[in-house]
Amino acid sequence: MASLTLKDIKKVYPNTEPVKKPKKKKNNDEPVKEKANLQITEEGVVAVQQFSLDIADGEFIVLVGPSGCGKSTTLRMIAGLEEISGGELYIGDRLVNDVAPKDRDIAMVFQNYALYPHMTVYDNMAFALKLRHTPKAEIDKKVKEAAEILDITQYLGRKPKALSGGQRQRVAIGRAIVRNPQVLLMDEPLSNLDAKLRNQMRAEIIKLRHKINTTFIYVTHDQTEAMTLGDRIVIMKDGFIQQIGTPQEVFGHPYNLFVAGFIGTPQMNFFTGCKLVKEDGKYAVDILGKRIVLSEKQQAALSANNQQPCDITVGVRPVHIQADSQGFTGKVDVSEMMGSELHLHLNVQGLDVVAVIPTVGLDLEAHSTGKEVNFSFDPSLMHLFDAQTEKNLI
Amino acid sequence: MAKVKGNSPAPAAPANSVKPQKTPKKWLKHLWENYPFLVMVFPAVLVVFLFNYLPIYGVLIAFQDFMPGDPIFSKYTQWIGFGNFTRFFTDVQFWPLMKNTFLLCIIGFFIGFPLPIIVSLMLNAMKGKRMAKVLQTIFNGPHFISLVVLVGMLTLFFGRYGLVNNIVASLGGERVSYFLEASAFRPMYILSSNWQDFGWSAIIYIAALSSVDPGQHEAAILDGATRFQRVIHVDLPAIMPMVSVMLIMSIGGLMGVGYEKALLMQTDGNLAVSELIATYVYKQGLTGIPDQAYATAIGLFNSIINVILLIIANTTSKKFSENSLW
Amino acid sequence: MSKNTLSKSHPIKDGLGDKVFYTINAIVLGILALIVIYPLYFIIIASISDPDAVLAGQVVLYPVQITMSGFQKILERTDVWQGYLNTIIYTVLTVILSLVVTIPAGWALSRPSLPGKKLLMVYFIIPMFFGGGLIPFYNVMSSLGLINNMWAIVLPSILSVWNLFMTKTFFESSIPAGLVEAAKIDGAGEFRTFTSLVLPLSKAILAVMALYYAIGQWNSYFNAMIFLQDETMYPLQLVLKEILIASESTMGGSGETILEQYRLANQIKYVSVIVSSVPVLMLYPFVQKYFNQGVMIGSLKG
Repeated sequence: MASLTLKDIKKVYPNTEPVKKPKKKKNNDEPVKEKANLQITEEGVVAVQQFSLDIADGEFIVLVGPSGCGKSTTLRMIAGLEEISGGELYIGDRLVNDVAPKDRDIAMVFQNYALYPHMTVYDNMAFALKLRHTPKAEIDKKVKEAAEILDITQYLGRKPKALSGGQRQRVAIGRAIVRNPQVLLMDEPLSNLDAKLRNQMRAEIIKLRHKINTTFIYVTHDQTEAMTLGDRIVIMKDGFIQQIGTPQEVFGHPYNLFVAGFIGTPQMNFFTGCKLVKEDGKYAVDILGKRIVLSEKQQAALSANNQQPCDITVGVRPVHIQADSQGFTGKVDVSEMMGSELHLHLNVQGLDVVAVIPTVGLDLEAHSTGKEVNFSFDPSLMHLFDAQTEKNLI
Repeated sequence: MAKVKGNSPAPAAPANSVKPQKTPKKWLKHLWENYPFLVMVFPAVLVVFLFNYLPIYGVLIAFQDFMPGDPIFSKYTQWIGFGNFTRFFTDVQFWPLMKNTFLLCIIGFFIGFPLPIIVSLMLNAMKGKRMAKVLQTIFNGPHFISLVVLVGMLTLFFGRYGLVNNIVASLGGERVSYFLEASAFRPMYILSSNWQDFGWSAIIYIAALSSVDPGQHEAAILDGATRFQRVIHVDLPAIMPMVSVMLIMSIGGLMGVGYEKALLMQTDGNLAVSELIATYVYKQGLTGIPDQAYATAIGLFNSIINVILLIIANTTSKKFSENSLW
Repeated sequence: MSKNTLSKSHPIKDGLGDKVFYTINAIVLGILALIVIYPLYFIIIASISDPDAVLAGQVVLYPVQITMSGFQKILERTDVWQGYLNTIIYTVLTVILSLVVTIPAGWALSRPSLPGKKLLMVYFIIPMFFGGGLIPFYNVMSSLGLINNMWAIVLPSILSVWNLFMTKTFFESSIPAGLVEAAKIDGAGEFRTFTSLVLPLSKAILAVMALYYAIGQWNSYFNAMIFLQDETMYPLQLVLKEILIASESTMGGSGETILEQYRLANQIKYVSVIVSSVPVLMLYPFVQKYFNQGVMIGSLKG
């Protein structure tokens, strides 16, 4: 177990060739990922920059973001699989920028598991220990211990081919924890599992966390995983950190429009073209033709910033929208019955607004496609974002 | 290949490439970390150096008045420029050799190049996939027969006492050795080469065809295409890139016809058509009273023609399609 | 619907045009198969038929007056068996050395972090398209002291650049980068990764390369012809060349004695074709299973 310090970490892929549609030809079977807006400088393509983070002993950190945001690259730099182009990386007190992966005392769980196909489960888990010349008896003890924790004891003699996806996943984790690494890195470990298994393994990882004593760094593109697993979440986009915080913080107080949209499902509703106004010394918001006065807390925060009136985007989470005959009027475009709740896609003056409404005692007929529905939301639950900078004003 | 790298930025370099930085210190570190690869590649570098690069250096004797055993450089070395080349161009054998080599290659090319393509398309269009597999195995078989045995088999079929003559004789005809007939040399040479290698050459196209998305075929079926139309409009386009690459390669090797086989098939009777540039090099350089400098010059001339053909083929292909070797 | 079901279990009737197409296609391929098989078949039936019957043109579709005398005669040919032994020695040495040279080099060339990779690639590509030619090659061998030396047969054959690039491509496409990285994190150095991870996963390419090099060496005669003078060192192909071909080119005349010679010589020819080709032809199906084997199935996503 160790703390980690990342100081202004940067990753640049040098331009080896004049930039002309690279990659496309090479990995045909890898779908061409959405192009991220990475910064391209004279040095090359900047995949990660200004990445600074202190990770405490035993903390569970989740790096989350869309494809190409640099989260995997960051993880691979911590692992030593990618050279660090700039900044400093400490594991404990040791600067490890130039230390080989095997000497960093880290372990990693790969997205595709990367199990050695020619070795049995036992040998897969023992390989790292063998390379460290651990005595045989000790290897045996450690492998069996880890197998016990992960409930894969009966598969120790099998080869990976003969295992199911979930079992392979456990073996991959077993291989990583068997040598008590100071830091355990996980690169989208659940993304190859089907939805049901994924939920199950997610719970397993939470349990595992309490059984073994190590620092976790976990990469995922799935915000649900991030919210449920992380002590703290690092949200990244285009190589930059957008926000670092506990799940509660990033959900309740997203730092900018991107984080607000990325965290939480269904996605937060954004009302563009709104205005922040000051009336009688009080802040209010002009939204969809109405003026809503903000709550005391919001008033205080805005005053403290000495916020000037400006164009804003208002964000409201779908769960915070409630039926209200006095409120805004919208026409139901699509009505999705989810069982305990109803997802309504409303057309409100040309904006698409999603509302999540509990179904208990609800008149479903009144909420079917084409019907008009009235709704409102608690002003204190509004998120206000500067239309220009996209930053949260509060 | 399933890359483990999940979401590295798309436009960036491949994730596992730790590209050498420009600073000498980093370069040294990179070198130190990756020296095992240099150790692994070294034996191959050495073998290629000895058996491929030293001979390239050795072509210098083509420009010398060289006697076997002479060092390539010494103070006694007599440089004669292009003397050996002009001698070859004025050799009475020059035009016959050019013609023999060229004709054998060009006829062989026109039969040997399309045949594997057609066969692969036909195999791919077979209904019974297991049967196609069996046929492919059969077609590959002759590739493993040695040249000596192949030419031996030719004599057993077309020699004076071979199968053809045995049948002709049993019907009261006259025995004729086709090996002594100049006119039979090219057909025998080309047809036996094709017999031996068409299946093997088809492999590369069959592999390309097997990666055609079945969805394309299904879409074509729904569009009402017959199987033959699908061969023309789905299968053939799928292997075109491979076809152009192979075309460039075979044009580059056009004048590099296998002299080992020609040498085996040569008789006094067919020498007028079976003497090729390469067999002439062998005879001039290694048999009788060897004239190594002259033979080397002829060989070099042949190699240079090949390289020129390759470059022309490549540039042409680059111009008219996106496919090229470099 | 997969490609298989598309072509195998057709639930839908083919149109008339398609039926005609499939039929013609099958017939043409069938004829082609006969053309390939018949010469080989004829050699077999001729080898076990009475030489007189062969010479009389009676042996066409089936053996006539079956006799094993040809095989008995070849057993007495010490030159053939000496050649056989020599070829086996040369082939085994070539295969071992070629794998030692080709496989690690192919692995190294497939690594993006190989220092000077671009330069090395060019170094290996040039010989594919340009060479010094026969005479300079002979002179190099001569100055390396390899004339009339068995290593002249082995050493130049231990690396084919084509095979090297094939190996490189195999490694690039079949060893997942993740496995190598996993080994790195587990603490394996590059050599260890190669021996403990790469080699065990490369049985397919090892088998294919061994086959290619073995067949190349087994079938070659030219280097032996120009470099070996001592007949006891001759490989099988050179001995065969004497048996199979020499007579045809030198003799043009006719007459009873020559006919008698041919009667016996031809039988030896049929038999020697079989005896020399059988090992190679037997090797092929044995190794063929590796051609398409998916070695990697277990390690990737389920």
